[in-house]
Amino acid sequence: MGKLWRRLLYWFHSRQLDADLAEEMEFHRNLAARENGIDDAASRRAMGNLTLARESARGVWIWPWLESFWQDLAYGFRAMRRQPGFTAVALLALSSAIGINSSLFTVFNAVALRPWPVKDPAGVVNIDHVLLDGPRRGSIAGFSLASSRYLGEHSKTLNGVVMMRNGEKVDLAGRKIEATYVSGSYFRVLGVGMERGRGFLAEEDQPGNPEAVAVISYPLWQNQFGADPGMVGRRIRLDDIPVIVVGVASRDFTGTSPLRSDVWLPFAAKLLLRPNDRSVMNFLTSPDYCCSSMAGRLAPGVMREQAAAEVRVLMDQFRPPLEAGANWTIVLSGTAWVDAPSSEKTGPAVAIASLFFLAVTLVLLLACANVGNLLLARAAARRQEIAVRLSLGGSRARLIRQLLVESMALALSAAAIGFLAAWFLPGFIASRLVNDQSFRLVPDARVLAYTFALAIVACLAFGLAPALHGTRGNIAGALKNEMRLTGVRLSLRGFLMATQVAISVVLLAGAGLLVRGLERARAQDPGFDIQKVSVLSLDLPASAYSGARTKAFAAQLLAELGQLRGLPPTALSMDAPLSQGITSTSAWQVGDSAKKGRVVVFHEVSGNYFDVLGIPLAAGRTFAPSDAGKQVMMINETLARQYWPGQSAIGKMLFAGGNPGEIIGVAKDVYTTSLGSIAPTVYWPMDRRMPLILVRDRTAATIERITALVKRIEPKAQVRPEPLAANLQRQLQPSMYAAALAGVLGILALLLASIGMSGVFAYVVRQRTREIGVRMALGAQPSQIVRLILASSGRALTAGLAVGLAGALGLSRLMVHQLNGVSPLDPLAFAGVFVLLIVAAAAASAFPARRAARVDPVTALRWE
Amino acid sequence: MGTNREPLELLPGTLDLLILKALTRGKMHGYSIVQMLKTSSDEVVQVGESSLYPALQRLLLNGWVKAEWGASENNRRARYYTLTPAGRKQLASERDDFNRMIAAIQKVLQSA
Repeated sequence: MGKLWRRLLYWFHSRQLDADLAEEMEFHRNLAARENGIDDAASRRAMGNLTLARESARGVWIWPWLESFWQDLAYGFRAMRRQPGFTAVALLALSSAIGINSSLFTVFNAVALRPWPVKDPAGVVNIDHVLLDGPRRGSIAGFSLASSRYLGEHSKTLNGVVMMRNGEKVDLAGRKIEATYVSGSYFRVLGVGMERGRGFLAEEDQPGNPEAVAVISYPLWQNQFGADPGMVGRRIRLDDIPVIVVGVASRDFTGTSPLRSDVWLPFAAKLLLRPNDRSVMNFLTSPDYCCSSMAGRLAPGVMREQAAAEVRVLMDQFRPPLEAGANWTIVLSGTAWVDAPSSEKTGPAVAIASLFFLAVTLVLLLACANVGNLLLARAAARRQEIAVRLSLGGSRARLIRQLLVESMALALSAAAIGFLAAWFLPGFIASRLVNDQSFRLVPDARVLAYTFALAIVACLAFGLAPALHGTRGNIAGALKNEMRLTGVRLSLRGFLMATQVAISVVLLAGAGLLVRGLERARAQDPGFDIQKVSVLSLDLPASAYSGARTKAFAAQLLAELGQLRGLPPTALSMDAPLSQGITSTSAWQVGDSAKKGRVVVFHEVSGNYFDVLGIPLAAGRTFAPSDAGKQVMMINETLARQYWPGQSAIGKMLFAGGNPGEIIGVAKDVYTTSLGSIAPTVYWPMDRRMPLILVRDRTAATIERITALVKRIEPKAQVRPEPLAANLQRQLQPSMYAAALAGVLGILALLLASIGMSGVFAYVVRQRTREIGVRMALGAQPSQIVRLILASSGRALTAGLAVGLAGALGLSRLMVHQLNGVSPLDPLAFAGVFVLLIVAAAAASAFPARRAARVDPVTALRWE
Repeated sequence: MGTNREPLELLPGTLDLLILKALTRGKMHGYSIVQMLKTSSDEVVQVGESSLYPALQRLLLNGWVKAEWGASENNRRARYYTLTPAGRKQLASERDDFNRMIAAIQKVLQSA
């Protein structure tokens, strides 16, 4: 033990100790020279080769077996080169499994594990204000900018507080880019690296004196501005407002939210970008405007709990709780996504990620079983070599070590290929197939370590059993080239094959179920016409449009659309059905307290919305021009049932979206928010929200007529037409990606299992050549031979199928939420898997069987 | 003085033993160990650098000797080795083994 410790010490201080040794030997040489009275050069000669002596003295410290490890590894690589066929198959299986694993981990790492790309991220914490009861229990409310200023001035546990709010799009030369508003402290407190220029100064974020400054992202600088070296100080136009660029963020800085950010602006600059919006000043200064995200940097030595307690106290001081007894707490968490406290947000995503990690682990296991089987076959071929070495006195441990190191050579090569795949694949898929570049999908040291760990695990998983197995036993038999099947080997071989079959059943069943779920979702009737409708989104110059002007615009647009002759039914709405963003609000019965409110989905629509989409009315009527100026609303059946079960809701009063209104109509339940469920919904007449146009027609002529009309009212407007079905497509996209990924995994599993089965069958044929020859000579048909071969692995096949089915049933229970109502026992999916595997097994036996059937009985009998 | 005779090759494994024995006299640096072995063996045992230093490293690794820097007789920096308690124990047991082996060899040689 002491020896190991001293060796380790040497590793850490090797430079110092080597210098000591050199000095010591120099001293020795000098003394010797003086003693013998010889000159320097001769003494050097007399002392022999000094360097060599030093090397061998140093060599004492180095692990003796480290060297033989390298030798074994080199031997392993040479062996791989000598057997290109085996190597190709094994590498293909392993590197595809490791590659898929590492790729998935790269994505997971980029999305969930990576903390913010800022200086000393461990000291930065998200500060969240979590509600503990009420209708939004467990959800996170943000903070007002005013409260963050108070906190920044008074906190002793935090070395600075930053605020941010993302998800705002601004126009840059006709292109929408993602803007994030941040506090003036943002760049300084977080310590964001800058490629050019600087971050914001505190005085650039004063509501009383806003500055039109911006920091742009590295990709924007590269792509939009051609990496202009004079970028700092350049004037750009955001939403038509001139803004000075003061800095370019460093390449590593991808923002502090999972979403991409192209430009950062001080909060106060919102006053300049939205000059007509009077709510901005309130947003900047009023304690009532909440909901920007806050983060802070902990002072040195401060624990999160301490800081959270202080923030809580300061928040109470700043503003006594809105409603007495309101129950909320302050939670401080790390800045990586997995550390976020909201289980609501991360829960389902983590569940799906875990499912896929399970799946890729299974693929890796399958690949290991596959390569293990190949190695077993190779060990059988090497039995003579191994037996000779054992009989010459080679120790079994040494041999096992060598075989394992050879496996390691294989695993490391596969890991290298897999890591390359992880380098290119996720980025390629994100940019080319998914067209989403929010994340920087480049593997880092963590991914490298993960891949390396996978290689070690894989090496042990596929290498250990064959190594133990191959070095055991009967030397004499092996030397005599006896190739009899022993019971043990058969069962190990069978076990590995059964594993492969079982895993591919699980993966194929999972993929099959996801595909069925997707089919179901596609075929599902959302309750309204989705195919015939077009959506025309409008981009109006945001800096010029505020609530009142938008309202006037919407009214004029609606009136003029009504006057166009021969136009198919057309409606205005603040959002299109099944679009990504949902607006929700709290609703309660007039007379109740606001605390009894329920979360409802909120739409502003014009009266013919229901005609255009073909949503039938259950009761009452839709909005009419005569309703102008009245407080009227419509609701859906679900909401009506919740408040007035068994009665008519018409004429009842409801408080929703901040105003009371009389219910004039009840619409049938339709899936406007998601395909999975129907949320209670209120519809208000179009008011101050930016409208889009829904038209029950998809012809270019109609779209052109409407576009022309919009341009006549607002020449600066841009109109983006799109079929409504595109929204459905976007809704289904996550399920499509999941199904596609599962499909790829399933097919890979099937392929690997087929290769594995084929190898086993080929082995069986080799083992039983004589028997097959005899049978052929006695008049057996080739089909009987195929059956014979299949039957030889019959037990393994059945066991694999049975275990796989059991596993798949277990897995399908975990997947219920992803299936859109398809039963986890869906017979079609399971039957499909079953048939697929039988076909694959038959196909895998075809090639060896053909060879078997061609066996010449005479040769076979003479064999051995 | 056997000046005309060639220095003898040491028996394998005995160098470590001789170094340990030499160090029983107190701390020494490498060169003085060589000198000491040379004089006390009537110049039969002549150890070169290329075997002395690997042997010292081996003893360090096993924890039988300790090394520290100090000033030499003529005030130069030299690395001094001392015996550790473990080294003392090792010397005793190696000495026993060696004596038994030598006795056995003598017996065999005299039996003829």
